[in-house]
Amino acid sequence: MSMMQPDPLTRAWLALIALSGLSALAAAAIGRGFDARIAGGIVLLLALIKARIVLSRYLGLADAPSWRRGFNAVLALFMLVALGLYLAPAL
Amino acid sequence: MSDQSPPSLLDELPGDLMIWVLIISELLVFGAGLAAFLSVRLTDPAGFAEAQSHLHRTGAALNTIVLITSGYLAALALRFRMSGRRIAPRLSLFGAAALGAVFLVIKGIEYADKAAQGINFETHPFFMFYYLLTGFHVAHVIAGIVVLLLVAWRNSVDNIEMGAAFWHMVDLIWVLLFPIIYLLA
Repeated sequence: MSMMQPDPLTRAWLALIALSGLSALAAAAIGRGFDARIAGGIVLLLALIKARIVLSRYLGLADAPSWRRGFNAVLALFMLVALGLYLAPAL
Repeated sequence: MSDQSPPSLLDELPGDLMIWVLIISELLVFGAGLAAFLSVRLTDPAGFAEAQSHLHRTGAALNTIVLITSGYLAALALRFRMSGRRIAPRLSLFGAAALGAVFLVIKGIEYADKAAQGINFETHPFFMFYYLLTGFHVAHVIAGIVVLLLVAWRNSVDNIEMGAAFWHMVDLIWVLLFPIIYLLA
């Protein structure tokens, strides 16, 4: 007998909560001397994952794969630009 | 022989096309604002870091949890309504709107704290972007609460789908705005 699994929507909510906690930890690590460039990259990556979950599960793009791919590509590009602008002063 | 044409790409989109036009427009506006913020930061990274240290990250992180949970309730409302229920979607939408109000209270405390420190639009370019971007987002939260309450009243599936999508857009913008304004030191 298998254990009851939460449905995809509830899993998405739990994942968003967990990812938000990880973002806070990554940001806190900067204050404790962790390399801000790496932590910043992690924070942006986590934000990208969270945005993808909101689009897929909350907004229903999981059932519209072409649109989901398009949104994901544009969001990934935006995050790359943001990461570049964030890291530029350190280069 | 069938003369049915294959479904178009637009037919794939969940909900009304106009809400997606709005979502894409808002993402472009906020995306441009955040890119401008990071670009101006290049001119004074130390000043931006110092200004950012005045922000209350814990309150903003709490607000992230509040909005994510509110979005979950809005998504549940649509599911409940699609299964033919009438009361459960209303309760979910009221819960989502109430959490939206909690977001506003926490944001209000944050703004009041800044005002008490003598921080305003002109204190530093960081705060100009901070007030513009978070203030514009707050305006969307207020509009979203009104929309959630309206669709709780007129709770057809289409209305709830549209209202919930607007609320998820507000959620999505915060998911992008929060790390860039509050966390990237």
